[in-house]
Amino acid sequence: MKKIATALCCLAVLGLAAPALAHGFTKPQHGGIVQMNGETLFELVAQPTGVSLYMIDEDDPVNAAAMTAKLSVTAKGKRSDVVMAALKGNQFFAKGLKLPKGASVGVQVTDKASGARYGATFIIK
Amino acid sequence: MTSTDRIARLVALVLAAGSGLAAVSAEAHGIWFAQRAKQLALIYGIGADDLEMVKRLPQVEKIEAYDADYHPIKATPRVAGPVVLIDSEAQPTVVAAVMPYGIWSRVGSGEFEKKTLQEMPNATVSTHNIKYAVSVVGPLRKPLAALPGQTVQIVPAGPIPAKLGTLLKYVVLYNGKPVAGAKVINDMVNDPDAKEVETGADGSVTLPVRNQGLNVIRAVYVGPSDQPTLYRQVEHTATLAFTLAHAPE
Repeated sequence: MKKIATALCCLAVLGLAAPALAHGFTKPQHGGIVQMNGETLFELVAQPTGVSLYMIDEDDPVNAAAMTAKLSVTAKGKRSDVVMAALKGNQFFAKGLKLPKGASVGVQVTDKASGARYGATFIIK
Repeated sequence: MTSTDRIARLVALVLAAGSGLAAVSAEAHGIWFAQRAKQLALIYGIGADDLEMVKRLPQVEKIEAYDADYHPIKATPRVAGPVVLIDSEAQPTVVAAVMPYGIWSRVGSGEFEKKTLQEMPNATVSTHNIKYAVSVVGPLRKPLAALPGQTVQIVPAGPIPAKLGTLLKYVVLYNGKPVAGAKVINDMVNDPDAKEVETGADGSVTLPVRNQGLNVIRAVYVGPSDQPTLYRQVEHTATLAFTLAHAPE
């Protein structure tokens, strides 16, 4: 009887255990649309003056100043690549850019120091 | 050629014909794309064996990336320690590679040697091996196209599902057209010894998507020789890789 009680206690503890690998950021932080690539979050925000991109890598906002960013907008059979400017924090901005409905938008962020590339693709609805 | 050579060659041809020449497969290894430290890498191996890609890089003939409309994007390999990473000039939807893997011959059940028929005239199997890899890295807006240089290519015949276990029909293309008799396995990384399934008359096989993660489907098709004095067959080994995202944590 004691053994059963111990086992039930253990099961209860296991059931209450919090997941060890929880990640905080999978939702938009700036009202945009999010695409995850593994543990890297990309958020696109369409604004009246252009398009912003925010990037969080394994829960840490990246330093935009240490990166270059490019959007590749494919629509109506044509691709245009737009280089984004690094703003404060983890924000990049493409001034004057509009994203047409149905477009495929490839996001590529490159670490200036290591050359590592991070990316995701959005379909604009 | 001496009369002894001629007899040896004749015997080899008879043996080859008798052993079902067109179906002889020389090498199960392949190339595929996978993520390494969040970067896109080109892998050579089989199963869990992630073998030396850097030393094989000179053999890679073509690496291409494509956008959502399958227009090419420049992509270049970059050696990063023991890994070959792929740098593309823009975020791709699809990446592809071709790696000719030499001419291999053997007599009977002996070991394969890197020799042509001219170098091993009594070979019972003589094959030119070529490896192909295609990886879907972004959402497909239109059906995956037959890509340049991919003599054998696996294409999904419907949308790639979100969940493992869902049936997905694949078509194996040879020179851009569906081909019967290609031998397919569902997961060359995690189940490399699985029983091969042959494509039917319409070039298709239907398999459940195996992994909520990386899926690498492999097709082997043995086609005719384009240089019969050097080898009797061409063994095309093609992979299609795609990843199903895991649930948010």
